[in-house]
Amino acid sequence: MNGVPFPDAPLTSDAAKQLRHELRTPVNHIVGYAEMLLEDAVDPSLADRRTALQQTIDAAREVLTLINATLPSTRTEIPVSDVVSLYTSLRGPQERIVRAIGRLRRASGPAADPELEADLDRILRAAERLVPDAADDEQRGVRGTGTPADEGGDGRTTTRLLVVDDDPDNREVLRRRLEREGHRAECAEDGDRALEMVAEQQFDLVLLDVMMPGKDGYEVLEELKGSPETRDIPVIMISALDDIRSVVRCIEGGAEDYLPKPFDPILLRARINASLEKKHLRDQEIEYLRQVELVADAAAAVEAGEYRSGSLSSVGRRADELGRLARVFDGMAEQVRAREGRLRDQVRELREEIDAARSESPRDEAVGGEITLAAGERFADRYEIVGAVGYGAMGTVYRAHDLELEEDVAIKTLRSEFVSNPDSVERFKGEIRLARRISHPNVVRTHDFGEAAGVYYLTMEYVEGLTLHQLIESRGVLGVAAVLAIGAQLAESLAVAHEQGVIHRDIKPGNLLLDAAGVLKVMDFGVARLAEGTTTLTQAGSIVGTPAYMSPEQLLGEAADARSDLYSVGVVLYECLTGQLPLDAASTISLIAKVLNVEPRPVSELNDEVPEALSALIARLLEKSADARVSDAALLGEELSRLSLF
Amino acid sequence: MPTILLVEDNEMNRDMLSRRLKRRGFDVEMAVDGREGVEMARTGGYDLILMDMSLPEIDGWEATRQLRASRQTEKIPIIALTAHAMAGDREKALEAGCDEYDTKPIELDRLLSKINALLNAST
Repeated sequence: MNGVPFPDAPLTSDAAKQLRHELRTPVNHIVGYAEMLLEDAVDPSLADRRTALQQTIDAAREVLTLINATLPSTRTEIPVSDVVSLYTSLRGPQERIVRAIGRLRRASGPAADPELEADLDRILRAAERLVPDAADDEQRGVRGTGTPADEGGDGRTTTRLLVVDDDPDNREVLRRRLEREGHRAECAEDGDRALEMVAEQQFDLVLLDVMMPGKDGYEVLEELKGSPETRDIPVIMISALDDIRSVVRCIEGGAEDYLPKPFDPILLRARINASLEKKHLRDQEIEYLRQVELVADAAAAVEAGEYRSGSLSSVGRRADELGRLARVFDGMAEQVRAREGRLRDQVRELREEIDAARSESPRDEAVGGEITLAAGERFADRYEIVGAVGYGAMGTVYRAHDLELEEDVAIKTLRSEFVSNPDSVERFKGEIRLARRISHPNVVRTHDFGEAAGVYYLTMEYVEGLTLHQLIESRGVLGVAAVLAIGAQLAESLAVAHEQGVIHRDIKPGNLLLDAAGVLKVMDFGVARLAEGTTTLTQAGSIVGTPAYMSPEQLLGEAADARSDLYSVGVVLYECLTGQLPLDAASTISLIAKVLNVEPRPVSELNDEVPEALSALIARLLEKSADARVSDAALLGEELSRLSLF
Repeated sequence: MPTILLVEDNEMNRDMLSRRLKRRGFDVEMAVDGREGVEMARTGGYDLILMDMSLPEIDGWEATRQLRASRQTEKIPIIALTAHAMAGDREKALEAGCDEYDTKPIELDRLLSKINALLNAST
């Protein structure tokens, strides 16, 4: 092993004993060989050699003092930071030894005196064993806090220390000593001045005298540690008092360390280095946490749609796991943003289609339906009817003004044959309770279910806009981008509803509202449930749930599930892109036969602007077996957004 | 000329101390572990033993006890050398049968005075 081991945890007294031994052994060698060589160097011409050897011996003895100060046999536990600073402080004397011996080797010349050469080598080898390998240090991210002279100009900044002492001589002695160690030292003559300076300037460490006129050291310490701005600056107390009570008081007050006066310069250096090292490690930790926070903020920004790409570049430069996370995150956020951009473009195209449709054909008044409520009529003691806006198999839709909440709502009255059976009304209520829980921008909010004067009705959010049915009627065929915008929003609303356990059962263009901004809203969640269990065929002779959009399993009267809704989505998208239904027939019976037996023509055959992948995706939605379809709405949304890449 | 047996496993320690003692006029022979130390001591002819306490095979404590237990070697003065300078090490060394105790790193003059004191006492 080259060099002493680097500790991972505070040293127990046994480990300290071991380390002391491992450090003292090379010192022993250095001193021993140097003394022998010194004994040999009696000739007056060898004065230089004697000087170098004496320097070596002095440096080795300094090492011994440092070891004894940091690893005294009386200490039971030695913190890692103490060991780190011991290694750091050993570098100075170690370097002096290496320099002195190097000088001697050059002076003696190669092979001039093999015995001398061998002994000098032994001394060098011993000196190398004094501190852990430098590479080892780097791996652990430990940086020396020794003097800049030790560091050889690698860009490390000088540390700034503040000396607080009322005695001018003490101040000066300390200042000069610290500057010799390579620190920059400023002085304050009393506590108030010290607090002022700390408030104005950045200091890495404060050396604080305890006994001072005016504010004493304890008070200054309390103020420093009481303020969030200054509490992280390490403070070493210096005082002539070395009674245990005052030491305890300083440590309890938050002082990093304590030095009795007259201070031992080596101890002073070791403790300053240890404190600075601790601060350095703490700063690193704070910086790490700050960067973790940056990543968390970025995640929140992405969610809010406010993420700016590259805002994690400072974290991304880190070589560690956090840096990798930031880089991956930035890349993902960039993709999400690009995807959102594409979606925006798609919605813009959709909006253009909507605008065009509205200018071509003003919205039709509902005609041919069973209109039971007249404009201006008061309904259910709460609503004022504005007018009928739609007519469907289930009933008529009115726009009304909610007099209580002072906002417009949509009221859907239900045809009497659907609500004649009390069981089905009960089941319907349950479905509406579920549907009311769905809160999503792509879902028309269901407010209430009630009965007034024998009329059952539903109230819903009123959406100003047109249905997809009206849009297709007006435009014939929609552009691919607009259809992708419709598909994405439809998939999202269904994903949310399905997650809540609500199956729509009647997805069709007439139930999809588009507002002027291009936002799609699905209405009538749960309403189709009302038709189940009553008669399948209405009086008009058509299947409730609009057979052209219904899945084979629904047509066969089997249980519908989430995948049945996805089949309907397939029909809707097919119609948007081709202007026609995948399978059409003159009668319901022949339609059912086709839906069960005939494969629709691929969308891409009918519209050559439709990419193959989109055509294939729609074909997978239209699979006759539910198991063969895209398995859920969230997945459909993902596949659609992936298609948007083209 | 007094002959010293140096029992020490560390090559550099051995080389250095033996050379320094030779310079002071001693004959020095060396053993590299406790077992060899005990065997060499039994062959006789040593005026003093310098015993490193942390040794492979048989450590210095055990080697000292064996030397003290044998009539051939019971009277040879032994100086224990330890690296630890722990409070209590000295007592422990004397208890094990050593006559003196010194700590590493060796201060030659201090060690020499201990060696000389023991040699003078035994003659």
